[in-house]
Amino acid sequence: MNKLIMNFLVTEGYVDAAEKFRLESGTEPDIDLATITDRMAVKMAVQSGNVQDAIEKINDLNPEILDTNPELYFHLQQQKLIELIRMGKIEEALEFAQDELAPRGEENPAFLEEIEKTVALLAFDDVKNSPYGGLLDMSQRMKTASEVNAAILTSQSHEKDPKLPSLLKMLIWAQNQLDEKAVYPRINDLSTAKLEEPAV
Amino acid sequence: MPATAAVAPPPSAPEQLAARLSSDDSSESLLPTLREIKNQIIGNRTKKLVYLRLHAVPRIVALLSSPSSPPPVIVQAVAAVGSFACGVEEGVRAVLDASAVSHLTVLLSHPDAKVVDSAARSLRIIFQSKLAPKYDFLLEENKTFLLSLLNSTNENITELAASIIAHSCEKPAEQTSLCDAGVIQKLVSLLGGPSNQRDTSLDAISAIVKNNPEVATKFVSISNGKAFNSLMGLMQDRYPRTRLLACVCLISIEQAFPLYFQEMQIKTKLILILLDLIEEAGRVGDEAPFVLKGLIGESEELHRQALSVTAAERLCGYLRKGKALLEARRLEGILLVLAELGSKLEQSRAQLIELQVPSLIIDLLKNDCAQVRIAACNVIKNISRSLKNLCAGRFGTESIVMPLVQLLCDSSTSVQTAALDAICNVAVNLTTKKSVLLQSGGVSILCQLTRSMHSEVRLKSVRALRNLMFLLDRKDKDLIFTELTVSTLTSLISDPDPLVQEQALALAGNFVDGCGVSTKFIFSEDISIIEAVSRQLKGASSPGMCIQGMFFLANMAAENESHKDAVMDCILPTSLDIGISPPNSLVNFLQSKERLLRLSTLWCLVNLVNPEQRNSLRVSALQGAGIISQLKTMVNDPCLDCKLRVRMVLERCLENRE
Repeated sequence: MNKLIMNFLVTEGYVDAAEKFRLESGTEPDIDLATITDRMAVKMAVQSGNVQDAIEKINDLNPEILDTNPELYFHLQQQKLIELIRMGKIEEALEFAQDELAPRGEENPAFLEEIEKTVALLAFDDVKNSPYGGLLDMSQRMKTASEVNAAILTSQSHEKDPKLPSLLKMLIWAQNQLDEKAVYPRINDLSTAKLEEPAV
Repeated sequence: MPATAAVAPPPSAPEQLAARLSSDDSSESLLPTLREIKNQIIGNRTKKLVYLRLHAVPRIVALLSSPSSPPPVIVQAVAAVGSFACGVEEGVRAVLDASAVSHLTVLLSHPDAKVVDSAARSLRIIFQSKLAPKYDFLLEENKTFLLSLLNSTNENITELAASIIAHSCEKPAEQTSLCDAGVIQKLVSLLGGPSNQRDTSLDAISAIVKNNPEVATKFVSISNGKAFNSLMGLMQDRYPRTRLLACVCLISIEQAFPLYFQEMQIKTKLILILLDLIEEAGRVGDEAPFVLKGLIGESEELHRQALSVTAAERLCGYLRKGKALLEARRLEGILLVLAELGSKLEQSRAQLIELQVPSLIIDLLKNDCAQVRIAACNVIKNISRSLKNLCAGRFGTESIVMPLVQLLCDSSTSVQTAALDAICNVAVNLTTKKSVLLQSGGVSILCQLTRSMHSEVRLKSVRALRNLMFLLDRKDKDLIFTELTVSTLTSLISDPDPLVQEQALALAGNFVDGCGVSTKFIFSEDISIIEAVSRQLKGASSPGMCIQGMFFLANMAAENESHKDAVMDCILPTSLDIGISPPNSLVNFLQSKERLLRLSTLWCLVNLVNPEQRNSLRVSALQGAGIISQLKTMVNDPCLDCKLRVRMVLERCLENRE
């Protein structure tokens, strides 16, 4: 159980919590906690919209990541363009789209659709309410940040998803399957994990 | 209110940055310059090409090898060099030309850990390229150095060592040398490490074991079989890439040491795991079918086994679900596996036909990727070897023939030859219906292709026409011949490529096979065809050609008197030959060890001495050429068919005498 918790804290990047947990439970993390700090710095940079800073930090951490993950690199560049548009720097955005995003489309036609959507934002005065205004949401930043986190974990030979959520999903699925076949003490509230006797 | 982004300074132009590399600036300005170049190029192919054209690479290599460069500068320079070599061929060349490999190797012993890490990483990237130099393992100092890398505690360095082995180890002497130095045991111990290291170690082990029975035998006995068991365990690892590499490794061992795998259990497991991996996303799924093809290739036993574990159904089901979305490479791989399954066993073909494979893959004949088109042709070629289904006319339909005919005009010669192979088979029409090829414009294209510059295209198009001509009715034969023309057939019979000559002779033989109906084309004013055949028979070195030539003459001799006379002129020595015994005389043919050559010659003789009026002259001529005496020695020919024909000829010769 402790290993599961440690795995969750480490994968999601909660350094301080992981350190505390290690002291209190004696569970050793399966990854060097120092590397978590670096990874979290990158994630924070993306979440704050400092994409260039994030790119530089990733390259300092491991120069191979962006060279071997064209989709991630593209998404970071796309995020950069989105941030320029958000700040209203339209001319700079246009230049950036031409100099940096267009070549990605040439290198890899699979990105063209996304490029079109992002560049389309430039056509609207009220960007937030345009058809692709959703790209400006924080959720887009979170999505990119998550992608970056996963790529760094993979490069460190660590699994990119924590085990705990998958286990919980399996628990729910298993109970759903059992429901069709038997009556048994069930966990109805995941936060308490209390086994409740079936109603008589 | 969303968090605002910090304002970054605008990027400097590549020209400015590249210029700063050569100036005598101190490292204080070099460091930010290098860092910015590095950050511009990583992930960005376009920028890499820009800097390559600005000749940045030699300047950066000079910086990393300069003794006055401080570690932070070296680290940035090394990372930049690694990035240039990552996925860009021009970049790899530039890096190699600048002698980066030797400089980076020196840096592996640098006191600064970050420099060492960086150098190991960049070297590993370089060694992933096909263009990287081959490491000479047989040089003692090289081997020692490699072993020191393998024994390092630094994961980047051990992974580098494994990459070098995976990239360079090819020759048996190298494999044995590394095996004897205990490298395999070391790599096996690395299998317990992090996944990147594990995967590279698997690659390295495969390289050392490949095609080397001695090394493979040693492998399976390492630690009493524990190493082998580790591999078996990795076949079920949670990471698809590891599972695939473990399969590749096991297959290398199996192919080098098949006795160890006599029981089907492991091979069946491999087939099942690979079938699962074909459905994985990314490069693993793209490469898995090729690995599967390598496993089952050429082995009827494994074909049967694959079928018994529903390989065909699974592959067809997978194609049906989403072939439009699959990568070209994966499509090609799956098609090649299906083609392989249909290549030997009739039961496999029957199953593939039942699964409607031909109609499933027909649209793939029009796929954008040439390799996919070729693979689809291979599937049809192999499945159409099924005589039973040929007889049922299952491959002669418009839906199959028309797309193949269209591929005859493909821009790629390889696609054309693959389509020709398939057409060769589907051209064999054993039904009573008229062949679709005759109506589709296929004949004119085939005839055009017989005049191609490429001998392979000529060969296959002639073979296709030969098959098409088989048992065709007279009218259609004449139509094809008109399209082909006498002069083309004559030049094909005298083609520089002996294989083409053989097929052309066979085509002519099929054309003349008309059971008594006059073949005006052979006897136009220009009797070049007969002369060409005669020349080939006299000079030919391959039995195959002589066999086809004699069958042609045998068919000719089945027709009227003037035909028989022409054949006699062909086969008997002329006045020019008197005193010289030509290398390919009829007597030689009758003495040949090749059964078909004796038989075809005998049929020719049977038809020549068929009960007709002017036989006696012919018989005397044959007697004079020593043929009758030769035949008398053949009354107990080991081949029954030959024996019967010998007796037939002799009986008729005797009848004539009387």
